Amino acid sequence: MTATADDRADELHAAGLDGQNRTTLGRMLGTGNVGYAEEGEDGVMRATVRIPEDQLIFDPSIIVFPHGGDIELTLINDDKNTHCALLPHNGDPKIIWLVNHSKGTARLNLDGPGAYWYGSTTGNDEGRGLTAALVMGGEVPDSAKLDRPAQPRP
Amino acid sequence: MTDYVDAGEAVAHRTLSNVKGEAPATRNVDYERIQGARSEPENWLTYYGTYDGQRYSTLNQITKDNVRKLVPAWVFQAGSTGMHSGASTYSFEATPLVVDGVMYVSGPDGKVWAIDPKTGEELWRYKHASPFDTSLCCGNVNRGVAVGHGKVYMYTLNAHLIALDATTGEKVWDTTNGDVRAGESGSAAPLIVKDMVVVGSAGGEFGVRGHLDAFDAQTGERRWRCYTVPKPGEPGSETWPEDGEAWQRGGANCWITPTYDPELELLFQGTGNPAPDFDGGVRPGDNLYTDSVVAIDVNSGEIRWHYQFTPHDLWDYDSTMENLLFDAPDGRKLLAHADKNGYFFVIDRTNGELVRVFPFVDRITWGEISPDGKVTPKIYPDEEGVPVHFWPGPAGGKEWTHMSYNPETGLIYIPVQEVGATATRRRREFKESIPYWGAGVAVDLDDHYGFVSAVDPLTGEEKWRWNHEYPMCASNVSTAGGLVFQGTPSGEFVALDAQTGEKLWQFQCGSGHHSSPITFEVDGRQYVAVPTGWGGWVEGFLPGLLGAAAGDALFCFALPED
Repeated sequence: MTATADDRADELHAAGLDGQNRTTLGRMLGTGNVGYAEEGEDGVMRATVRIPEDQLIFDPSIIVFPHGGDIELTLINDDKNTHCALLPHNGDPKIIWLVNHSKGTARLNLDGPGAYWYGSTTGNDEGRGLTAALVMGGEVPDSAKLDRPAQPRP
Repeated sequence: MTDYVDAGEAVAHRTLSNVKGEAPATRNVDYERIQGARSEPENWLTYYGTYDGQRYSTLNQITKDNVRKLVPAWVFQAGSTGMHSGASTYSFEATPLVVDGVMYVSGPDGKVWAIDPKTGEELWRYKHASPFDTSLCCGNVNRGVAVGHGKVYMYTLNAHLIALDATTGEKVWDTTNGDVRAGESGSAAPLIVKDMVVVGSAGGEFGVRGHLDAFDAQTGERRWRCYTVPKPGEPGSETWPEDGEAWQRGGANCWITPTYDPELELLFQGTGNPAPDFDGGVRPGDNLYTDSVVAIDVNSGEIRWHYQFTPHDLWDYDSTMENLLFDAPDGRKLLAHADKNGYFFVIDRTNGELVRVFPFVDRITWGEISPDGKVTPKIYPDEEGVPVHFWPGPAGGKEWTHMSYNPETGLIYIPVQEVGATATRRRREFKESIPYWGAGVAVDLDDHYGFVSAVDPLTGEEKWRWNHEYPMCASNVSTAGGLVFQGTPSGEFVALDAQTGEKLWQFQCGSGHHSSPITFEVDGRQYVAVPTGWGGWVEGFLPGLLGAAAGDALFCFALPED
């Protein structure tokens, strides 16, 4: 058995794990692109995610935000099938229905740091590949930190 | 290609449900009212029902004579779906509260509901988004909310104390109180005292330095923080290595709600294990205030006295579980505590003086505590790589789940676990957010049993026990109807005769119990409510049932109306 880290995208492709109905039935989760949100002058962090045709993936499938806070996510369905997105949000998850060739918005509030999953909760979209992550970076406020010297991290 | 179809804006998931969105306004719950909670048994106003932690109700409509007629009035399904934070260890561990005809209860994964306690109808819901990668030792759980000052307070999995509007569930304020990068989390039910909300830390398996905090109930501003491991130079610091780093990762977390004496103005907080759990070689000394009860001045956050149940713990014997307050016939103010280490302690709660100590489990091999409180360790992980078996295991003779006290019988009803474990010391370096146990641990898979033990705390005598195939991993509640209600790991919810221990009734809930039942009354009808949903730290307290049926239902029982 061999494993790889440096050329992971090529290896995933060669193994038939980064597309629909190749080695396995769907696309393995977590094999998509990484994107970064931009923070506006109003403090809102904005990003766009698309569903490409016949790929059953949110692209980028991981969006990195610099810290917790308010998010404006633009969702575009470029696919020729209907999907949706059930998204994490402080208060209650938010849902948006995305018919073929549609575009919508989700305004979310999430704490940081930490990672949150979301997916298209229709059919088995989530299992086929339409499960993606919103990753919040940053640190908690100083007032929430422990009174102790800096500690080692992994 | 044409322009995109406008999909609009994402909407709250609950808007596509039958949730009403609003609960009736209740009378205000404040400090004075919670102090008098015993006088309004129709409600369950605070985590333990009353500040003293007795989990006793004076309601007596359901009695020994009619309990066999008890039937479900309604069932509320929490709805466990999708990816959870810590899905493998999901559990429904909460204590519901009831205020003037509205029930408030929290569930796993950041959920809080207001429910009509007569019908089970969902009035409002709130869900705090929980990061999937939060460090959790023992599951995606929450043990309950506090209600008062027009608000519902919850400590979230990622250590935010939040306040919700009690009538709508909308968030009023949100204070970050813990460092998730340091392995901190939140699971305890907050406690309202005076104009403050008190809540404690979780993260003992990640070397978090434990603390209890008090916040302004209206604004969320912190009033005080009390660390339960002293810094160098502070009282108790002499019990840690002088020039070491051990105190910085010392543990003593406060992940169970304290009890409170309004006359003494003292909070009685149980503290968790030292870190690393099983490797004492890196932390020589007694390691105060781990595995202790600390009496904390509610006004200042200062520790007035302490009693340590397991000095220099090497078995993961947290003492976070309740310190039940009761008075002796001569008026002496006492505190009762059934510790993980298998011993039952009675302490003078005015000064921390030991009054009595006796074993409440059958098998204790880790060591011995003499009647005057002298602790002698006997078996413990000491040599690197050498397995050591001991009883009770790290979940203890009794874990966090709560006993109850019936002042009419004078008995305390203890849910007892008989499970051992093997620990093999494996030293490791400390890194924030990585488990810091210092051992490999395997809890016994098949040698286990349990019972409810009715104990006279004034003598130590066991009056009766109700035996069960499995350890008791849930709280019980006792009532003036002469009953003790107890859930089992195999799903039965049973009513026992408080005088004799005879089983008088049972209902199979379909999933094991790891929560705290309550009783209340609405429009003259008494109810008994219990969340069910097997899970949590099952590998710690009963791995023999790791594959048992999961669930997420809140059952509410009552006598037939006709």
